Amino acid sequence: MPNMRINIGPIHPSTHGVLRVVAYVNGDTIDSVEPHIGFLHRGVEKLMETRMYMQNPSYTEKLDYVAPMGWDELYVSSVEKATGATVLENAQYARVILLEFQRIASHLLWLGTFANDLGQMFTIFMWAFRERAKVIKFLEDVSGSRMFYVNMRIGGLNGELPEDFKERAYSLLDYLSERIPKYRSLLDNNNFFVSRTKGVGVLSKEDAIAYGASGPVLRASGVEYDVRKSSPYYIYDKLKFNVPRGTHGDAFDRYRVRYDEMLESIKIIKQTLDLMPGGSVAGAKVKLIGQPAKPDPVIISRELPRGEGIIYLVPDKQKPYRIGMRSPAYINLSLLPKLAKGAKFADLFSIIGSLDVVFAEIDR
Amino acid sequence: MQEIQKEALLKTLEELKSKGYRYLKYITAVDAPDHMEVVYLLANIESNVDEVVKVSIKKSESERPSVESVMNLFPAADWYEREISEMFGIKIEGRKTRRLLLEEWNGDGFPLLKSFEWGKEYHKR
Repeated sequence: MPNMRINIGPIHPSTHGVLRVVAYVNGDTIDSVEPHIGFLHRGVEKLMETRMYMQNPSYTEKLDYVAPMGWDELYVSSVEKATGATVLENAQYARVILLEFQRIASHLLWLGTFANDLGQMFTIFMWAFRERAKVIKFLEDVSGSRMFYVNMRIGGLNGELPEDFKERAYSLLDYLSERIPKYRSLLDNNNFFVSRTKGVGVLSKEDAIAYGASGPVLRASGVEYDVRKSSPYYIYDKLKFNVPRGTHGDAFDRYRVRYDEMLESIKIIKQTLDLMPGGSVAGAKVKLIGQPAKPDPVIISRELPRGEGIIYLVPDKQKPYRIGMRSPAYINLSLLPKLAKGAKFADLFSIIGSLDVVFAEIDR
Repeated sequence: MQEIQKEALLKTLEELKSKGYRYLKYITAVDAPDHMEVVYLLANIESNVDEVVKVSIKKSESERPSVESVMNLFPAADWYEREISEMFGIKIEGRKTRRLLLEEWNGDGFPLLKSFEWGKEYHKR
């Protein structure tokens, strides 16, 4: 049978952004796929070299519009490391709480859209978005903005926490820990969902390491690697939590890893709230930032919802000389040709969805 | 951090890989005032240790800087190498020229070089 070339995208509901995929198929079996990216490329790394340090968080936040706070915190901590600033103790706890809530919000959005793509129409989608809206409302009350928070400052946050911060966080956690376990029965017992994810897009443990897979995609293949455990930052070494792992490395395992991570995040936030010492969390005013002492490069890495984000910062006096950003979604998407080879054409969307890609971050 | 010459790149990375640094996290480049740097970030997943390898390349007027491809050792290098070759004009030796990844076309300027001028019109080659 002759080969056929099928073009998908750049605008397609299942590509979650602007991804163009060219698939060469034989019948409905995929011979090879070529992802075309770069539609959202805006030269962020170059732009950031022309701005002063604390003008840049607005750019880093737009890298990942599903979980902006992760990149925000990653960038601000790279500046903190370069200038030698320390983070207030209570602010470290507050940052962990906010980052974990952000991880839950990001995984909820992913879960809703992924299940929707695969035929679990709308129920999970509506449920996940309802829960996510509550998390985002909480983050809005803390930071002052609903989607793009820009609330990290050198040494802390942009202001003090609301007075009823702890009570509201606890009640939100109660709500989430009651709601999220209900998703399991809708997905694990759903034949459409299971048959479209089990055994689809299998990535072996060895390949996951060799091809540089990151975050939940790496852990679903059975590798126990999480920056929060391997090189703990803030207070993660004081907390008890597991690193969820998969065994088969297929799309279903990636769903289970992200699902379990949400429950682990709830555990992390609960412990952090219990341990929180109290005190100020407000960071320095923008004008009071010291200058980097040495032009030595700073490398900093964080476990973002999509995987490990790394910033390579070469500081200059007022501005970054060079800022390199390792996007976890970028390297995960580069696995697509490998995962899709030999798969059925209809499974391509299950594979793309299971990688949890965000294109603002991939194209930078 | 190891700073090496570009001739020693493959040998150094091969040694590191045999010591358990099997996970390539990131490749990036820096256009320093007097030379070009390519930075490789490796990790040993079992013992949670990171290692940074920095290659410095002399700049020359007549030739674009070049560096050996590490695809055979670390398949993860694929998109990172394509990215630095588009953004910094670094030639990756031992790889076939492929279509551009992030840019639509490559003009006579490379965006992340310090010599790249804002607002100047660069033309298709």
